[in-house]
Formats: sequence, C-alpha cells, structure tokens
Amino acid sequence: MSDFDKKTLEYLAELGRIKLAESEKTKLLKDLQEILSHFKELGKLNTDDVEPMSGGTFQENIFKKDEVIKGKNEKFIESFPDKENDFLKIPPVFE
Amino acid sequence: MDFKNLTIKSFHEGLIKKEFSAAEITESFFDFIGKKDKEIRAYLSLGKDEALSQAKKVDSALTGKKDIGILAGVPLAVKDNILIENRVCSAASKILENYQAAYDATVIKKLKSAEAVILGKTNLDEFAMGSSTENSAFGATRNPNDLERVPGGSSGGSAAAVAADMAVAALGSDTGGSIRQPASFCGVVGLKPTYGAVSRYGLMAMASSLDQIGPIAKTVEDAEILFDAIKGKDPFDSTSIDVESKNQKSKIKNQNYCIGLPEEYFIKGLDKETAKAIDGVIKNLRDFGFKFKKISLPHTKYALSCYYIIMPAEASTNLARYDGIRYAQLKNLKTEKLKDVYFNQRSMGFGPEVKRRIILGTFVLSSGYYDSYYLKAQKVRTLIKEDFDKAFKEVDVILTPVSPTPAFKIGEKIENPLGMYLSDIFTIPVNLAGLPAISIPVKKYQVSSIKHQNELPIGFQLIGKHFREADILGLGKLYEKGL
Repeated sequence: MSDFDKKTLEYLAELGRIKLAESEKTKLLKDLQEILSHFKELGKLNTDDVEPMSGGTFQENIFKKDEVIKGKNEKFIESFPDKENDFLKIPPVFE
Repeated sequence: MDFKNLTIKSFHEGLIKKEFSAAEITESFFDFIGKKDKEIRAYLSLGKDEALSQAKKVDSALTGKKDIGILAGVPLAVKDNILIENRVCSAASKILENYQAAYDATVIKKLKSAEAVILGKTNLDEFAMGSSTENSAFGATRNPNDLERVPGGSSGGSAAAVAADMAVAALGSDTGGSIRQPASFCGVVGLKPTYGAVSRYGLMAMASSLDQIGPIAKTVEDAEILFDAIKGKDPFDSTSIDVESKNQKSKIKNQNYCIGLPEEYFIKGLDKETAKAIDGVIKNLRDFGFKFKKISLPHTKYALSCYYIIMPAEASTNLARYDGIRYAQLKNLKTEKLKDVYFNQRSMGFGPEVKRRIILGTFVLSSGYYDSYYLKAQKVRTLIKEDFDKAFKEVDVILTPVSPTPAFKIGEKIENPLGMYLSDIFTIPVNLAGLPAISIPVKKYQVSSIKHQNELPIGFQLIGKHFREADILGLGKLYEKGL
C-alpha cells in the first residue's frame, strides 16, 4: 500500500510510544504493507446502508447504585515501582 | 492410581469412593509435570504449596463427611493472562515479568469457592496475540503429539497441559480462536462461550469486544462442568449477562434437529486429511438420524480482514496501560523523563507481534484512515453477524472445521504474520458475531487412537445460537458417547 511508508511507520511508533531499531522497521514495513493490501478486499463491499457494530453482542444500559465499594487499594499501591505515602511517584511530566 | 486418564467426573467419583485422596493426586501431578514439562513447556509457573494446601482442605472435608462439589480438589491449569491474587501474571510478556496480581479474576474467585486446585499458570502467545504459542517471551510450548509441532495458540499452554495429562482441565481465553484452535491441534475439547456468558474481570484485555474466557478439557462433559462453574453475571464486568435466564436445557432430538454446513468453510485450501475427518463426523451424525442442510454465510471471506482491523484497534488501546509504571517495571532502565520511561519500557518489554499489532491498530484508528478501515470493519462485522442470524433461522447448529490444517511445524509460520493469521479463518467469524462454539476432537484422530507419528489430532467445530451453549454441548456429548 503506497500510503504506508517508512515515515508513517515512524510516526505511528512515536504515537504508540515504541522505539524501533532499523532492522525492526524493515520487517514491520514489509509485514504491514502486506497485511494492509489484504484489507483492500473490504473496499469491494458496499456498506452504505449498514450500521456499524461497535461492541460485543448485547448492549444495554447498566444501572447501579452510586455507592463506594471498597477495594484493596494497598495491593495496587504496593506494586508501584516508586511511591510516596499512597501516591505513585514518577519522573516529571513536563520537561 | 493412574491419574493420567482422570476427567473431572472420574476424579470426583474416585474421590468420593475414597479410591485416592486429593493431596495424593495433586502430588502425582506435580511429580509428572516435573518430568514431562521439560519437553512440553506448557507451564510458566507452578503453585505447589497453595495447590497442596487446597487439596488437603478438600480431603479433610471428606473425612469430616461433608458434601463436596464436583470441582472440589480437581487439579486445573490457568492461562497466564488471568489474574490470581499474589501470583505473578506475565501474559508471557517481558513487560509484566515482575507483575504480581493484586486481586483474583472473577473466574478464579469462582473456582476457588468451588474448591478447585490450581496447579499453575500456562504459557501463551504474548498478551494472547498469536496462533502458535511461539510468541511467548519465555519460549514456545510444544505439541504433546509431536514435539516438532506447535500446540496452537494463543492458549497453547493450557491445551498442551491437558493433552499431556499435566492437568485434568484448564482455562483459556478466546479472541479469534485462541481456545478452539489449540484444542483442535492438541486433541482436546475447547469451548468459547457466548460473548457475555463469562465475566472477564481479571482477564488482561486484548480486544474487549471479542475476548471470552472458556474451558479446555478432555471431554465435552468436563467442559460443560467448568463452564457451569464460571458463567454468569458479574457486577465487575458490565458486558456479562445472566446466562441462567437464557441458557435453557438442550432439546436435541435427532429426528427434527438440523445441522448447517456453510459452503464457505469447505474450501479448496482445506487440508485433505481435515476434510476427510470432518466428512467422517458428518456421516456419523447422519447415520444417527440428524438432518443436514447446506447453508451460506456469504461474508465469511471478509472476516479475516474485518478481524485484523478491529482486534489490533482495540488491542492498541488496551495495551496503552502497560507504560512501565502502573503494573511492573523492567529493571535497570532508569530515566530522567516520563516519556523516556514509556519508550524504554515498551520497546524492551513488548515482542515483535505485539509491536506489530499496536502499530497496525494505531494506524487504522488514526485520522484520515478511521473511516476507510475501522468504521468499514465495524460495518462488515454487522454483515457477518447478520449472515449467522439468517442461517440460524434455518438450522439449530452449524458444523465446520476448526482450522484449515492440523498442527504445523514450529518456525513454519512465525516469519509470515499473514500466513499465521490465516490459520484462524474458521474461528474468527464466531467471535465477530459473539456466538458460542466448541472444538471437539474427531474420534479417529483422538490422541488415544493415534498410531503413527504423522497422524495428528483434528477437531471439528460446532457453532450455536447466542446463549445456546446447551445445544453444542448436548450434540457434542452425543457424539462423544458414540451416539
């Protein structure tokens, strides 16, 4: 597919927060072009009046009482790589 | 006591009759796993202490003459993308190598309250992305029928563990065939329940509109027992549904029961031996009086493209949470900036297939391509579901192959992602439509009757109407018993 080139790949990898080695880029570019050209067959199908199916099978509204259910927060906090009291500690967001 | 041929049913009967104790059987399993799993590599981690203490609890309940449930003491395996509190849950990914689950998945809670014994966590393709279990960051699992071949995937560890007698039954997850295809490759039974029948709370999400947890077992009867234990509505999964109200008893009567054969599933590319095996099943069922009807599911050929747009789109979104901060961190990757943490952790932590799907998913969702890929695929998904809706007005159950070929060789498809994706063409439409389906070993090809190395297990697939697990399980049990 012509519109999927190395620049697109690099841009998408940046969005996905993934650094790619040159060898990975070559392989991925080839694989993804092949996969995307397989998708072209969908273009042959007329879907003008078809509603998109966005979820699983049955979609209905679920209502529940607005109550606090106490979870086991301490276990989640324990698994933080770095913390101060009950807060997750991370490097600065703004550079 | 030969623990190797135990089913859930026969284990339960033996336990009640005091032919053995649960602890004794659990010990035997661990001894056997210690030897056998060196060549199969089905397990990523074992939990011997917890397993034995659970087994002993069941034994003392029995000594105290208390009634025990059907799953009490039964040694099970669990796919390593399902959380068990305080146990490592890696999803076979480097990025979660050090992650300890903070809570039990709902299915685990249910198994624990049924007093089942959990032997260990089984191998999978990283984050359940794959069809061969070769994408595991911790090494491939091997097919117990032929060590040169893959066990299928992504629940390859669970299927191989059951097939190699290293567990009585197991849990897997199925997004596009990940329970049924490995069950077929390994010669065991695998059930993918209706979307919503089983809670996914505590299952690591891959593609949320497709994922379901289901059982892998030696018999259809066992698969049904496990399914009954894990199904039902859960306040922690808003897509779960009260199946009890929908899942009526099976009304299978061979004289007025009609089985559909979709022409799009019996194609040229179908392996000869697989075609022969499926013909045999059809003949068996016909001899017993079942009616067959040729049907058409005309949009089948678009299912693969549709799936490989929707699944990566959802997966790329779901996997955004693995940022190297919230769940676990790879060691020795100290950085100054937050953005660098993300880049370093994700680049080192994810394997090639996961990266491929994140990038593909990001692409089909990106501005300018959303309509022509993602929205288009969602519309095609509607057409695929409607094909099934129409077909089920004429037939009760649909019978198809599970995969175009039996288990392939390790390394055969790993370099060719599209080729690998094609091994799921008969299982994918079922997930897109949210239907229940089961893979059952064709008798002549079952593990026990395989004479030559080159005769591999082959499964057939029964697809049922929404929430009609009873139909496919009922028909499967009839076939299993010899009609």
